[in-house]
Amino acid sequence: MSATISIAPVRKSVVVQATPEKAFAVFTGGINRWWPKSHGIGASPIKESIIEPFVGGRWYTPCEDGTEAVVGHVRIWEPGKRFVMSWEISAEWKPDSRVQFASEVEVRFVADGAGRTRVELEHRNFERMGAAAGEKMRSGVDGGWPGLLELFAKEASGAVRA
Amino acid sequence: MAYVNALTALADPTRRAVFERLRRGPASVGEVASGLPVSRPAVSQHLKALKLAGLVAGRPEGARRVYYIDPNGLGELRRWLDQFWETALESFETEVEKPRTPKRRKKP
Repeated sequence: MSATISIAPVRKSVVVQATPEKAFAVFTGGINRWWPKSHGIGASPIKESIIEPFVGGRWYTPCEDGTEAVVGHVRIWEPGKRFVMSWEISAEWKPDSRVQFASEVEVRFVADGAGRTRVELEHRNFERMGAAAGEKMRSGVDGGWPGLLELFAKEASGAVRA
Repeated sequence: MAYVNALTALADPTRRAVFERLRRGPASVGEVASGLPVSRPAVSQHLKALKLAGLVAGRPEGARRVYYIDPNGLGELRRWLDQFWETALESFETEVEKPRTPKRRKKP
């Protein structure tokens, strides 16, 4: 079947009082200073968030239990302008290194006059997550995932895990 | 969560083809089947699965029933991700606009 379903990307933007260079630097190199600790994907809470600043570099989070969770890898790296990462997280919000099922996040930094920058974020290719979710369903590997989803939903809305 | 149902439903290639056909506009089971190498009963089954996942809805049109894409089907996933990125970007905004802090002082 050649049909391709594309699920419309999620687009978000924010205008910040900073140059594109600074915004890029804070977004990437400074990610540990702002990435919400609640936005973790590992089994244990995030201790730190790190983006390695080169193509092929990882976005990963050392966790409090000593493990590391990989969010994705850098695909395009243009400092001060944009970067693209694979988002290697499954539909149930767990790390999934099978890159063929990864969605993708692009962040662009566009000068917006008077020292401002519009940061445009696009999260796309969700249909690939669907393929993985379907495969997992079929193979019946993980019967417990609806419960995990509940947990993620709670975490995403800011509730603290006991 | 509804969005996982939606993603899972779309994971099946034949079902994706059925869904894709409906992107061209509402169609009956027969119309969908005529454009695909799939039997009518199979198309019915796929439409049922898509309906359960909230991706497709049906309505009577004269003597027949037509199916169309439910625009809210992936709403759950979108709402969730919207919120996820919104929180993240708010946090980023706060950080990037922080006035430059003087040299870090050692905590007592």
